[in-house]
Amino acid sequence: MTDLQKYVDLTVEVITSDGRVIVGTLKGFDQTTNVILSGCHERIFSETEGVERVALGLYIIRGDNICLIGELDQERDASIDLSEIRAAPITDISRR
Amino acid sequence: MLPLSLLNTAQGHPMLVELKNGETFNGHLVNCDNWMNLTLREVIQTSPEGDRFWRLPECYIRGNTIKYLRVPDEIMEMVKEDSIRQRQAASGGNRGRKWFSWWKYWSRRKQRWKL
Amino acid sequence: MSERGRGRGAPRGSRGGGRGGRGGSTFAQDTKPKKESILDLSKYMDKKIRVKFNGGREVIGSLKGHDPLLNLVLDDTEEFLRDPDDNRLLNDTRSLGLIVCRGPAVILISPVEGTEEIDNPFVQQE
Repeated sequence: MTDLQKYVDLTVEVITSDGRVIVGTLKGFDQTTNVILSGCHERIFSETEGVERVALGLYIIRGDNICLIGELDQERDASIDLSEIRAAPITDISRR
Repeated sequence: MLPLSLLNTAQGHPMLVELKNGETFNGHLVNCDNWMNLTLREVIQTSPEGDRFWRLPECYIRGNTIKYLRVPDEIMEMVKEDSIRQRQAASGGNRGRKWFSWWKYWSRRKQRWKL
Repeated sequence: MSERGRGRGAPRGSRGGGRGGRGGSTFAQDTKPKKESILDLSKYMDKKIRVKFNGGREVIGSLKGHDPLLNLVLDDTEEFLRDPDDNRLLNDTRSLGLIVCRGPAVILISPVEGTEEIDNPFVQQE
């Protein structure tokens, strides 16, 4: 868990149990994996259109519904043209 | 930085809270605790479908139903200032002295009571 | 046990104990003062409140009693019904009368007075 410390101040991608993909700078976290993401945006995937980016700002995400936190290689990420990406959104597993 | 410190600093500021059931609450944070339970005032509640809206004078939200909170960007800077102030108060403040006088008091008592 | 009784006289024991607890707890003090509850339910006594529960139920009733765990006693309670097809909340209610709400299941409390359904307030901003 404290391994999250090495991601602090790096750009991370968070996938939540409702299927959202949120990218931002990890500013902090706690024992229960609540995280602070600053300057974050959501990436909305679609099979018919390119990836939509929605700016979100400063977020606290509750650890309960975080599925994944991963470091984002900013260089490689920048080399991807998101408007060309076609991908199915992730299923919401948070509701019954 | 701890998520709950950020939340503490955000007291009095507007924020958006989304619950696990998809409902959202826009309001000013009045108070919060270590369980992330919140009280908000001047709240606008939105249904999970985003088609119905309510205005509430205030509300209490249990922390474990929260999905995420969106807070104003400025709060980040304020947390840093807060923590510096706290550290100063903790080290330079009267904490050490308080402890010392308290210890002195107890050691005297112990003598008197022959403990 | 007798060991423990003696320990009380020492600074360490009294710190955990009721007497010296507050002033002496140097750690808890720094973060924030330990509050009873962030919600003062007594101001809602005999007033109508709306309570939402884990699992989606929602009721309105007048508050007759409460405890620190957020267990509530409500009177003249009405439960809002949901559409059996799409599970959306309806304006229809059924009467429950006098009920005890279990605190851990309560996820939201708000006063009924001053609450109103409104048109989309976010339209103009977008």
